[in-house]
Amino acid sequence: MIEVRTARFGVLKVPEDNIVYFPEGLLGFSRLKKYVLLDYKDTYVKLLQSLDDPDITFGVINVFEIEPSYEFKIPESVLRLLELKRIKDAEVLVILRVEGEKIFVNFQIPLVINPINRKGVQIIVENASVKVYNMH
Amino acid sequence: MLVLTRKINESIRIGDDITVRVLEIKGSQVRLGIEAPEYVKIYRDELYRKVVKENLKASRIDFVTFEKLKKVFRKK
Repeated sequence: MIEVRTARFGVLKVPEDNIVYFPEGLLGFSRLKKYVLLDYKDTYVKLLQSLDDPDITFGVINVFEIEPSYEFKIPESVLRLLELKRIKDAEVLVILRVEGEKIFVNFQIPLVINPINRKGVQIIVENASVKVYNMH
Repeated sequence: MLVLTRKINESIRIGDDITVRVLEIKGSQVRLGIEAPEYVKIYRDELYRKVVKENLKASRIDFVTFEKLKKVFRKK
């Protein structure tokens, strides 16, 4: 277990296996490369917390829980970087953002993670968009 | 900012392994051909700025909001 200091979620105790390494960081956050991904028993939402900056925390969800028909292309170079054979072996997460009673799901910049080596990359899917869902 | 003038089919080179070639000029549009190693990410600037802004806006989720999301996406 490691202890993770966060700005708004206190100190989290997380198994080391939950660390995800983004060799290129996320878009706009190229210096932050190490995150922990927290799963919960009773919800599909996950917490992605930076290990390099306690202030940076994302709410994410497996894209197929929201949009089972989500399709996207992934460059060969990304597969190589992640050491993935097929895109099907990846865990694909999308970032959630809340504004009032609306949830913005960003299908344009998914996080693609190899669950075996825990490496991840955020890619840009040009023909995808941000979709708005109502909270209720 | 460095400013260079190029004709069609002329290029500029950035470092050892990036070239940008002017392929076509049509009215106010310019088509560029870019050769770069695969680790160099190339995006249209407006798209890159847009997604970075969205990442930034989403990057400081708070406890209460997260609890709300957990409820919305509860496993049945």
